[in-house]
Amino acid sequence: MRKKLLASMFLLCLAVSSVFANGSSEATSAKNKPMELTFFFPVNVGGAVTKYVDKICNDWNAEHPEATVKPVYTGNYDDTVVKIQSSIQGKNPPDLFISLATQRFSMYVQDAVVPLDDFIAADGAEGKAYIDDFLSGFMEDSYVDGHIISIPFQRSTEIMFYNKDAFREVGLDPEQPPKSWAELADYAQKLTKVGADGNVERYGVGIALNSGSAQWQFTGFCLQNSKNGENLMSDDGKSIYFDTPENVEALQFWCDLQNKYKCMQPGIVQWTDLPGQFLSGKVAMIYHTTGNLGNISKNASFDFGTCFLPGNKRMAAPTGGGNFYISKGISKERQQKAWEFIKFATTAERTAQWSIDTGYVVTRKSALELPQMKAYYENLPQAKVAYEQIPISKPELTSYDSTKMWRILNDAIQAAITGEKTPAQALKDAQKEADDTLKKFK
Amino acid sequence: MARKKFHVAFYLLGGIVAFLWLVPLIWMVLTAFTKASFVMQVFPHTGWTFGNIAYVWGQVPFGRYYLNTITIVVCTYAIQFVTITMAAYALATLHFKGEKLVFLIIFVQIIIPNDILIIPNFMTISDLGLTDTKLAIMLPFLGSAMGTFLLRQHFKTIPRALTDAAIIDGCNTAQVIRHVFVPNAKTAYISFALVSVSYHWNNFLWPLVVTNSVENRTLTVGLALFAKSKEAVLQWTNVCAATFIISAPLVVLFLVFQRQFIESFVSSGIK
Repeated sequence: MRKKLLASMFLLCLAVSSVFANGSSEATSAKNKPMELTFFFPVNVGGAVTKYVDKICNDWNAEHPEATVKPVYTGNYDDTVVKIQSSIQGKNPPDLFISLATQRFSMYVQDAVVPLDDFIAADGAEGKAYIDDFLSGFMEDSYVDGHIISIPFQRSTEIMFYNKDAFREVGLDPEQPPKSWAELADYAQKLTKVGADGNVERYGVGIALNSGSAQWQFTGFCLQNSKNGENLMSDDGKSIYFDTPENVEALQFWCDLQNKYKCMQPGIVQWTDLPGQFLSGKVAMIYHTTGNLGNISKNASFDFGTCFLPGNKRMAAPTGGGNFYISKGISKERQQKAWEFIKFATTAERTAQWSIDTGYVVTRKSALELPQMKAYYENLPQAKVAYEQIPISKPELTSYDSTKMWRILNDAIQAAITGEKTPAQALKDAQKEADDTLKKFK
Repeated sequence: MARKKFHVAFYLLGGIVAFLWLVPLIWMVLTAFTKASFVMQVFPHTGWTFGNIAYVWGQVPFGRYYLNTITIVVCTYAIQFVTITMAAYALATLHFKGEKLVFLIIFVQIIIPNDILIIPNFMTISDLGLTDTKLAIMLPFLGSAMGTFLLRQHFKTIPRALTDAAIIDGCNTAQVIRHVFVPNAKTAYISFALVSVSYHWNNFLWPLVVTNSVENRTLTVGLALFAKSKEAVLQWTNVCAATFIISAPLVVLFLVFQRQFIESFVSSGIK
């Protein structure tokens, strides 16, 4: 017993002393050290992505020994927000970070990030050309109060994947996927297959309605149905428009797909389960991210196609994903270097490579002209649909206090889908809660 | 006869429940060692492979993470051992002014979830200049309200006569704790060790927030890279392979020491 106790005390001393030894050596040599920028990044699309980020940073570090960038993996988007906020409150902010584009109002109102206008202006004509080269569908959600807050990086959009073999089987033209809600409902009913035992063997259409995905899907349906292309929120992020008659119609349409047309699996289908269901032939058309293209093209045992999301009053789709931000609480020199790093990470070549490696959509027009991008689209023509859809795409739901807005909308959608409330009632309640929350920002 | 039937039924039911509990574990292990398929199955029937483990191991520096995690759980428990022993001894045997209040303050901490304290704890760690160290991960947990409470209850059951005998033989307080209290509360120490080690082994958000370097991060951060990357699609084989890598040592430890664990839980009255 005594030996054990002694051993544990010894270990303890060892641990404490080694930790402190580390800390003090860092402190003394800090003055002579070149600048080291800390860069927080979330990963949302599977393991190897950290390697691609590390590579970008290593390339930069080789060219810029005076200001190296240290990439720090920070979990998924939610974990990253927790980490950024505690770092800022602990007065130890990262120099730059990637967070959801929808976080921009929250970041701005917390005074966490610096507007990028001055950096862009300082670059003169080159700066303007840089910004103009980004696809407007992505650049649109970089603005707060007219300032550019963030630079698009890991961006995605939603497209429709459909099973061409199933289309042939039921006598539909595999080259003519549905273009409108009416066609969607019609085709989906034809594609739904009921077995001899009365169980559904294949559903026509699949849309993920779990919390965290439903608000993204709904942005698309809202845009497709709104009178003049209005989104779920105002551009300044201070007003929310949940309970418009058009949105009630959209939510009713989802309920109808499940209950009236019986061509979508009832209840809530998870975002992560949908690709598996599609690949195993249990659903014929799915709404999913372009980030899934690699997985589907590798594993599909049937002929599959991709297309624009079906429209109603107009064609439209939501964009999502993460942007670069620069912290406010750091020195001007560090901010300048962080800005240079962002430009470095988003050159046309790196944007193209990033898109090919990860499945995210290219964010810059000039990247599309590169031979590697052209070769990629030639090999996988289904990938190009996402890029072509961007001009008609709009940002997903965001506002001040966006995390809460997401929750409110997700809850409302689930209440309607599970039949707890009518679509009109669910959206009306959501509107009231949203208005109450946003009052303090007006 | 009826009694025998009852026994058979009892064991049958127990067996079924035990099997249900085992299903996720079996699924995880089987999936970790089979080739990827896009449909989830409880008993995968694609071919066997070590590819998933090899791939996952190559993506994340698990060796380093193992070392860090083991260092953290061992050091945390070693220090907790000292702090909770002293606190529990004081609360169980000494009578002082405000005794009840001190006990209440410690007890209240049990009901505060640790995640709520992430930001205040981070601010303290940041003020101390300790961010991105292993000590930062451990520091908020070096005292334990739950451990203190558990041990105090246990110390209270140790007969006064033992202490008296030790004092008559010439023991001072330190020796009384060392020779009477600690050996008699072995089961409490073991059960708290299980709680402490598994909590720190599994803790994710706090280590993620307070550290930035691979040199200081823990196994769960390596797992998260696969398990939390769900924007496109979950690669279940990789998730299971990573889960297998990080949970295998704990499962093995539990199997080896299961008799001691179960005894200690039964006798200490926690579940």
